[in-house]
Amino acid sequence: MLGEILDDLLISASTGRCITATRHFPARPPVLAAFPASLDPRIAEALRARGIEQLFSHQARVWELVEAGRHVVVVTPTASGKTLCYNLPALQSLVERPEARVLYLFPTKALAQDQLAELEALAKALPELRMFTYDGDTPQDARRAVRARANLVLTNPDMLHSGILPHHTKWATLFQNLRYVVIDELHAYRGVFGSHLANVLRRLRRICAHYGSTPQFIMASATIANPGELAGRITGEPVDEVTESGAPTGDKTFVCYNPPVVNPELGIRAPYLGEAAKLAIRLLRAEVPTIVFAQSRLSTEVLLTTIKQGVADRATGDAGIVRGYRGGYLPSRRRAVERELRAGAALGVVSTNALELGVDIGHLDAAVLAGYPGTIASLWQQAGRAGRRADPSAAILVATSAPLDQFMVTHPDYLFGTPPEHARINPDNPFILVNHLKCAAFELPIPPDERFGGVDVRRELAALEDEGVLHRAGPRYHWASETYPADHVSLRTVTTDNFVVIDTTFRDAQQTKKRQIIAEVDWGSAFSTIHPKAIYLVESVPYEVQELRFREDEEKVAYVKRVDVDYFTDAVSAKGVWILRRLEGREHGGYLAEQGEVLVAEKVVGFKKIKLGTMENVGAGEVELPQQEKQTTSAWLTVPPATLDRVSTSREELIDGLRAVTYLLHHLAPIFLLCDVRDLGSWLGDTTPAETGAVATRESAKRRLMQAEHFNPTIYLYDAHAGGIGLAERVFEVLPELLRHGRRTLQACACALGCPSCVGPVNEVGRRAKATAARLLAALTD
Amino acid sequence: MASLDELRRVIRRIETARPPRPAAEPVERVVDGELLDTGQGSLVVVRREYPLAHRHGGEPLGDVLAAPLPLLARAARVEGSLAGAERLLFLDTETTGLAGGTGTYAFLVGAALVERDRIVVTQFFMRDFDDEPALLTALEPLLAGAGAVVTFNGAAFDLPLLETRFVLARRRWPAALTHLDLLRPARRVWTGCLADCRLATLESAVLGLAREDDVPGALIPLLYFDYLRSRRAAPLRRVFEHNRHDVLSLVALVGWFGRALSDTTGLRPEALAGLGRLWEPVDLERGLTCYRAALAAGLPERVARWARLRLAWWEKRAARWSAACALWEAARRHDVFDPRPWEELAKFHEHRARDLTTARAVVADALGRARRAGAAPRVLDDLAYRLARLERRLATGRFAPAAT
Repeated sequence: MLGEILDDLLISASTGRCITATRHFPARPPVLAAFPASLDPRIAEALRARGIEQLFSHQARVWELVEAGRHVVVVTPTASGKTLCYNLPALQSLVERPEARVLYLFPTKALAQDQLAELEALAKALPELRMFTYDGDTPQDARRAVRARANLVLTNPDMLHSGILPHHTKWATLFQNLRYVVIDELHAYRGVFGSHLANVLRRLRRICAHYGSTPQFIMASATIANPGELAGRITGEPVDEVTESGAPTGDKTFVCYNPPVVNPELGIRAPYLGEAAKLAIRLLRAEVPTIVFAQSRLSTEVLLTTIKQGVADRATGDAGIVRGYRGGYLPSRRRAVERELRAGAALGVVSTNALELGVDIGHLDAAVLAGYPGTIASLWQQAGRAGRRADPSAAILVATSAPLDQFMVTHPDYLFGTPPEHARINPDNPFILVNHLKCAAFELPIPPDERFGGVDVRRELAALEDEGVLHRAGPRYHWASETYPADHVSLRTVTTDNFVVIDTTFRDAQQTKKRQIIAEVDWGSAFSTIHPKAIYLVESVPYEVQELRFREDEEKVAYVKRVDVDYFTDAVSAKGVWILRRLEGREHGGYLAEQGEVLVAEKVVGFKKIKLGTMENVGAGEVELPQQEKQTTSAWLTVPPATLDRVSTSREELIDGLRAVTYLLHHLAPIFLLCDVRDLGSWLGDTTPAETGAVATRESAKRRLMQAEHFNPTIYLYDAHAGGIGLAERVFEVLPELLRHGRRTLQACACALGCPSCVGPVNEVGRRAKATAARLLAALTD
Repeated sequence: MASLDELRRVIRRIETARPPRPAAEPVERVVDGELLDTGQGSLVVVRREYPLAHRHGGEPLGDVLAAPLPLLARAARVEGSLAGAERLLFLDTETTGLAGGTGTYAFLVGAALVERDRIVVTQFFMRDFDDEPALLTALEPLLAGAGAVVTFNGAAFDLPLLETRFVLARRRWPAALTHLDLLRPARRVWTGCLADCRLATLESAVLGLAREDDVPGALIPLLYFDYLRSRRAAPLRRVFEHNRHDVLSLVALVGWFGRALSDTTGLRPEALAGLGRLWEPVDLERGLTCYRAALAAGLPERVARWARLRLAWWEKRAARWSAACALWEAARRHDVFDPRPWEELAKFHEHRARDLTTARAVVADALGRARRAGAAPRVLDDLAYRLARLERRLATGRFAPAAT
């Protein structure tokens, strides 16, 4: 069925011209290996009971390496049986020695739940297994029982950081007997999050040493450019990579689909969401199990609505066979969707990248990617969600009209040929390291000559003593403050201050007095998704926001009411970056580089009403919401008129060129900083003081620069983490080198007018941008 | 970074060039204690003795010997039995913070024991973090020898913290300690009568103790950190004093509870009502007797309100309707509007007595008062809803009173 649909897509006149590329990945037979001789017969029996008679070669290879005492990371595609790689040694150790302990770390609570279910199924017949999750959802009264009983604990880095390590005496048995630490989804720990995890593990290993254990690390990662290096940086140990998958794969087809041009004069294409929905409906009607990936929570809901309508058209149609899945849904709803997908009760699902991670939803035959997910690694991760071990499968990338997407589908060699991104971390970032050093001192006093993860920290310890948070008594530094340091270090940038969305539809009628919570929204996206008058969709059911309570002293709530509308809303936001304090400055040949504190402000100023289906703009509104501000550190570069004049006399051309340089610097800087692109923010503004600065949309910011009396364009590269974690200072130091590297990158890039690898896609930055950027960089580096 | 190091060297030179400060007086002398060598390092020990007749506030310490411990254990729901009063270990810690976890230290531990004809308070103090092994060594035999430990909020704070210190030092923690945490019975007795249930509040309201020049608990960690850095021990005197007071208050409170449980004469009505609540889950009849006695003795209104409602609830459970109604009737006459007695009465008249007219009158009256009192919208909605239903039922004549 799938094959026929694909053939038809390619051949038919209406869709054939939209397909810009296809790639075929032939089926691969399995490479099998016998159960290792050392595998406990009871485990072998449990595997056979589940229909597993042999291992895949990579599973056997991991076993060998672990048995030889090596730390291992396994990097094989989705659905290749990665979890068995770590489950086997873990279960073996517990069956052999009931007092042994194993710790599993997952980036989310949902994944830990999932894994627990899988383990329980496998371990049914095995003795002495006491497996529990331990996280923020574990009830207080159950925690004591888990600590006392569990020999396999599934948790997340945040809980390890703030709930387990600072209370390690309550976990003494675990730390005395810790045999393995399993880290799944290792690729999720890049950038600052990964740097934090590496330090959490430094603390973990100190505590293990105190109790006399030396755990071995077994890790699993999706495909990234440098899994072994990342694993080594995170654990601080040499790690062996296992990258050859022995799992079979079915025949797989990857299709790039560019929506048809509907207005040739203006070059306007059909809305990609509609096209993606059409493709998904076609697949689902033919009963092909399909996953649709959307780029945002909003587009997830919009797609789901359209697809449900399309599927329900059929005489026997039941819109319930398609479900939605995204962050913000209540956990119970998410679990139900996962269950239905596994059981086949739901045929399709529309999801954000929340399902990109290894949540178990069974196997699907087709993946429709509504929009390029932003990185090559995510692309393969999402495409990999479709694919069985024997049957053919397909992934279809539907391009948005955004420049990046257009570039990707029209340059398939770039898309298919570029290796996945590097995951970079810097565990020795002084801000992160010192914070964890404080936590470490809280956990166990530190002798002054102790190395922290191999780093000489004598200077940091002395500085912390000067600050008064450490106190040296006898041969060790002790924590000497009332505070609980882990509370002041968040491993992720998200705040815990979530908004709850409460349905008030039935309130007036006196029928329900209960608060009907239908969803949660994190602080960062609240203003753009649940502003007053916004249409908030939950599994495609529209609610209108009546009131948003966001004041500091009140509970964060959005009151919504069920409505019947045919449009959704899309927030319009504005931004600004202004200098608060200059800390350092340096005159270079063609520019002034400075470093200091900035104010980054973002504000939702209004919204557009967009009609479901046709995606026409059917109205707009304004909202009055507070500006969200954060202080952080930034490096900035101001180009004086003298330099600008040498490059061009057209102010517009210069702005386009500077925006191109901004994009280039932002995307190259992580290589120097060992962080992720998302850890930095960038902005082209000017040196207007913060007091008089007003936020602006991208267009109005450009207009303002065009009309400014004094043209003082400034490129900001700021730390995305409020308060800053030292990235900006580093940018300031490496700026000359960064500019030279940018110039070389631009020279080496084969594209004509700009691509995502250099100044950004041409449609975004403009046709003259690449050339102007090249001249600018020449002027800045000469 | 190198420049920072240079700066530090310069500062050190300046610091060492200054004339040396006179050596600070050792802490053991300042707090009038002595150094104890435990074999695992030494620490400061301060010992004070009090005759049994010593009054802590108005409470003679010796009353603790007369306390009916089995009764107290039952009322306070202690797991295990409280041995004789002479084997109770009264314990209170001063710590470097309230956060808990492995980085919080108990730097001062006060312990009181009955020794023949006197109460002896012993305080163990670490002069620095490396005195901790000595502190734990000194505590070990005390804990091991105690029949039971008495604390205030020790279940949630002092004991887990000490356990953490023991485990961290790789020592065995006597896990099966029988523990009487006075916070539990105190909450049952005084919640609602007193502003809060902090030990200081109980001291002034129950024991009649006014602390003079007491150091606020929140300052104690800071005073200790200051001492660690400056080695000036004088400000610590007040911390020792504060800790001794806390420990003695534990002794006095056990004495108070003992008396109140065995003989209620002379108790203030509020305390009597509180005792009712203490007994309610363990010995219902004793509880109800206390409530009735308290109401008869005359309670301040806000206490009377909940005492009546508790009592009425049990009367209702026992289907003693006239007693229950009398209590609700009394409760609804209170100045402060409380919807509960009104609702109960309305329910009684509607469903039990089947007197819709009276039920309507009650609800209409309640609604008027609720409006005047500015009650929450929910309360108003509920009453309005109830009233509407009664009106409807009266109009349709269904379930009409038997008389018509």
